[in-house]
Amino acid sequence: MALIELQEVSKIFGFGEATTLALDEINLSVEKGEFLAIMGPSGCGKTTLMNIIGLLDRPSHGKYLLEGRDSSRLRAGRQAKLRRDRIGFVFQFYNLLPRLNVLDNVALPLAYRGMTPVRRAKRASDILELIGLRDREYFLPKHLSGGQTQRVAIARALINNPSIIIADEPTGNLDSHDSKVVMELFADLHRSGHTILMVTHNPELTRYASRVIYMRDGMVVEEESTSIGAIAKGALRTYLRKRKTTEEDVLAGVSALLKDVPGQAMAEEERRPRKKAKLRKTRRAKRKARR
Amino acid sequence: MFSGNVKTAINSLRSAKWRSLLTMLGIIIGISSVVTVVSLGEGLKQQVVGQINSLGSDVLTIRPGKLVSDGSAKEKLNLLAFLSTSTLSEQDVTSISKLPSVGVVVLIDFVTNSASNGGQRMDNVSVLGTNAELNDILRPKMDFGGFFTKDNAGDNVAVIGAAVAAQLFGDVNPIGHSVNVLGQDFIIRGAINPSAGGLISAQQTDLNYTIFLPFGPAKNLVGGKVNISQILIRAKAGVNPDIVVADVQKTLLQNRGDTEDFTVLKQDQLLELTGGVVNTATGFVTGLAAVALLVGGIGIMDIMLVSVSERTREIGIRKAIGATNRQILSQFLIEGLALTIGGGFIGIIVSLIIFVFLRLYTGLHPVINAPVMILAVVVSIVVGVIFSVAPALKAARKDPIVALRGE
Repeated sequence: MALIELQEVSKIFGFGEATTLALDEINLSVEKGEFLAIMGPSGCGKTTLMNIIGLLDRPSHGKYLLEGRDSSRLRAGRQAKLRRDRIGFVFQFYNLLPRLNVLDNVALPLAYRGMTPVRRAKRASDILELIGLRDREYFLPKHLSGGQTQRVAIARALINNPSIIIADEPTGNLDSHDSKVVMELFADLHRSGHTILMVTHNPELTRYASRVIYMRDGMVVEEESTSIGAIAKGALRTYLRKRKTTEEDVLAGVSALLKDVPGQAMAEEERRPRKKAKLRKTRRAKRKARR
Repeated sequence: MFSGNVKTAINSLRSAKWRSLLTMLGIIIGISSVVTVVSLGEGLKQQVVGQINSLGSDVLTIRPGKLVSDGSAKEKLNLLAFLSTSTLSEQDVTSISKLPSVGVVVLIDFVTNSASNGGQRMDNVSVLGTNAELNDILRPKMDFGGFFTKDNAGDNVAVIGAAVAAQLFGDVNPIGHSVNVLGQDFIIRGAINPSAGGLISAQQTDLNYTIFLPFGPAKNLVGGKVNISQILIRAKAGVNPDIVVADVQKTLLQNRGDTEDFTVLKQDQLLELTGGVVNTATGFVTGLAAVALLVGGIGIMDIMLVSVSERTREIGIRKAIGATNRQILSQFLIEGLALTIGGGFIGIIVSLIIFVFLRLYTGLHPVINAPVMILAVVVSIVVGVIFSVAPALKAARKDPIVALRGE
């Protein structure tokens, strides 16, 4: 049984003329212990997908099975408890409470479980020891570096020993050194059996993932299993390939820029011979006209 | 979780100290006004009750004017009766004194409200003509001299209250000096101790601001015109006061051909009546103070709504990490409660300071009583709950995704 299973999940925002299809009949299955990286251009539906998996949002259609149970139609209170016990969130902008010190921030999810202050402080302190920030327990978030803040956020996500960790661009706001520290922490968590779902734009980070999915226009357009340590091929193609702008691209305008998305890229490859012929024809016509 | 919410609430209030204090100000003013007014009313009532009781339970009072209604003491007395000419006459006094059930009869005749001594003049004094027997009923504690006696019935003598002595004679012992009333000099025989007076006495005059003259000379001062504000009667020993009431009523009705334009009150009725008047006044002022409390409550709601808007992102984060709607609701409710309970306690402290000042610098004697304090705390809790529910519900119902975006 898959830990996460999405069956034809769609999400629609707005109504009437202003309807936006954020997710389009997505089918996705994530096994326990996987490290899934999700890539795709802005607005492709990655965050909406994470919100639905993280039970912050509900699908408009389709089924979401968490540990085999349909969780998409649960009451708000039940969903909150599942978020508390089963899911840990790590956000790009950390989302720590600025008025609470590091220890209280990390211990906060335990407070919602009704644990006594002494026990939750002890537990939070242990987790902070694990991520090497025990000596910052009584600091306020504003007194920490970006990397340290994100590690505190990871500690908070881990405090309830969740089965799923959802990280939405966890290194998006960090320098390369801090990114590496944070990603090594995720790698450790993955090795210790945690299931991690991570949204990223950085192909380098796919080295840590066991599988990468690529999204576009609310759909999963490509999926790739990767070996740990190697950058996903699709990601390389998408983000590291030198971009060639053709005359056609200029004519096509903004929409041409979106064709670099993996699924689209492959479709483009198939159409390329026809395109080349068309281009030759255009050039020939132009030369004729000049004569 | 509760202690966590309390800590969060206190942290949140601390981080905006001035705003919290200003928000609490409405509650502080409301609670301190309610506590002060109710305690003042309670104090006044106790003073009056003490004075009425000191007269003894066998003393009856006849007042001009009829109680509006069936005569029940709970009904309102015509409070403006004293402004019109009294319906009681000397003949009434004479006929009552002849009744076998009556022991002592004392009349109180209002003469004027000003008196002087050389250059010193007072215009807020009650100059009353009365009989020497008043001393038996009132038994006022004297500072100097004594009350006039039956032998002084035709003499120009006077007994003055403590405030009159202080204003007209300063530190000088007034005994043997004279006070001028409507052009005639009255030699002072006695000065009443200030403790005998109070804001309201059983006679509806403050003994501190009273000059008692023998009835005869007092009547001559105003050309024989009398204005009897009340008649006090003491029943003969062993006679049931109810019998005296019946006798007096019968006699007075006979005197005026069955027109009932007077009221005979027993001590317990007088207590009820005076207590009722004080309660009405206290209730009215408490109502005004309650409006201040209401305004304070609306201030709390306003600030809580601002707080919810400002902390949208925090609400989103809390929900993302597992807070249920109920937990968010209780967090903001506790915050509102912390504001109102804090305001309530500060309000009580302010009212205690007001008590001290009132006792030190005025003749008022507010009574600090536990029920009023407890009531104030309960009221502040109720105000807190009522006015925090809407903002707390707003916070609890926020969509976590929208809240996380900080919108």
